Amino acid sequence: MNHDFSKLPEIFDRYSRNPESLIAVLQDIQQEYHYLPCEALQETAKNLSVPLSKVFSVSTFYNAFSLTPRGKKIIRICKGTACHIRGAYQLQHQFETMLGIKAGETSKDLKYTLEVVNCVGACAMAPVVIVDEKYHGSVDVSNVKRLIKRG
Amino acid sequence: MIKFTINGKLVQADQGDMLLTVIRREGIDVPSQCHHQAVEPSGACRLCMVEITRQEWDGWSKFVTSCLYPVEDGLMVTTHSAKVIQLRKTIIDLYLARHPNSTEIMRLASEYGVTRTTYETVADGDDCIMCGLCTRICAHMGFSAISTVGRGHDKEIAPPLKEAPTDCTGCLSCANNCPTNFIEFTRDSNSLTIWGRTFETLACSQCGKTTITRDFAEHLSKTRDIPIAYFEVCDDCHRKETAKTMGRVVNWTREVQA
Ligand code: SF4
Ligand code: FES
Ligand code: FES
Repeated sequence: MNHDFSKLPEIFDRYSRNPESLIAVLQDIQQEYHYLPCEALQETAKNLSVPLSKVFSVSTFYNAFSLTPRGKKIIRICKGTACHIRGAYQLQHQFETMLGIKAGETSKDLKYTLEVVNCVGACAMAPVVIVDEKYHGSVDVSNVKRLIKRG
Repeated sequence: MIKFTINGKLVQADQGDMLLTVIRREGIDVPSQCHHQAVEPSGACRLCMVEITRQEWDGWSKFVTSCLYPVEDGLMVTTHSAKVIQLRKTIIDLYLARHPNSTEIMRLASEYGVTRTTYETVADGDDCIMCGLCTRICAHMGFSAISTVGRGHDKEIAPPLKEAPTDCTGCLSCANNCPTNFIEFTRDSNSLTIWGRTFETLACSQCGKTTITRDFAEHLSKTRDIPIAYFEVCDDCHRKETAKTMGRVVNWTREVQA
């Protein structure tokens, strides 16, 4: 995939160029490109003086980072205990059928990424679905369509 | 000077020494898989656990990884109490479940009388026990060519992007120090392949035996200021050369003294 990497120096400039800034820089790259492109990892290693292996290790450790392109809209279904009991499984099934992708996948047109996460700390409103950064509580199967369309 | 006891015997150590170092110095055998004196301890394998207590703890004791525990005045260390042995057995039991095909784990298990695992066996479990020694040693060598990748069950050791590592020099430090011999490499008459990358190897100019990779030789030559030619003679021939010189010196001294 071709990207405009001219944004990178600006991201590096936001922090001091040393190994301590690694996670902050990766977060910003993730936000900018919706994933961590391979070239960006290499540039990060060079600019922060961190071995590439370390950059890779950190990028694959945290779930917040993705090494494959992710969709514009990120839908997260909570499958923590409370949400699980209150029907997260059915929600997942409904999302998967409507989007034609499985949890953990991104649609071909890069519009949607569907993810399953653990307790997001909002059990009182279970089951919870997070679209981009917005939390939706007491979601039931009939809301899925609307969430996909509008979030 | 720090004074404490190991299995009832009074010992002395320097401030900052780790328990395991002193235990070993005393000739006591405590198992370990992730420890190497050249690199920082990391407490990954949990096998070096010992029981510690102090006079003022009133009979209360706790278990610590001795490789990571600095010596303390007045500490009372027990390396083979029934509880410690039980703990080690449990750890070995877990290893046995996860790495049923590892000869090193089997050896350890039989040493501790663990005949079979009480957990569900991962039949196709690989031999990497995730001790992280390879990555620490690689970093210590100054390459950091490999690292842990992923997390949890899927964690593994791999080069960045799982591609042939550019920072690797084929020094084999990882493979040679892996406790379970998990890291594979292959050799040809004039090449060596590890982590998916093939390196040219140098040959001894005297006997033709393979020495080290050109990349590693160049690295050493640059960082330690040793001429490349030095690596074009194998250790055996170096030794022979030294012996010859020594012989000449001895003869010469004899002649001079005669
Ligand atoms: S490959 Fe060997 S040295 Fe590296 S973590 Fe696995 S067992 Fe330890
Ligand atoms: S289980 Fe879903 S928010 Fe806690
Ligand atoms: S040697 Fe101490 S935990 Fe491995």
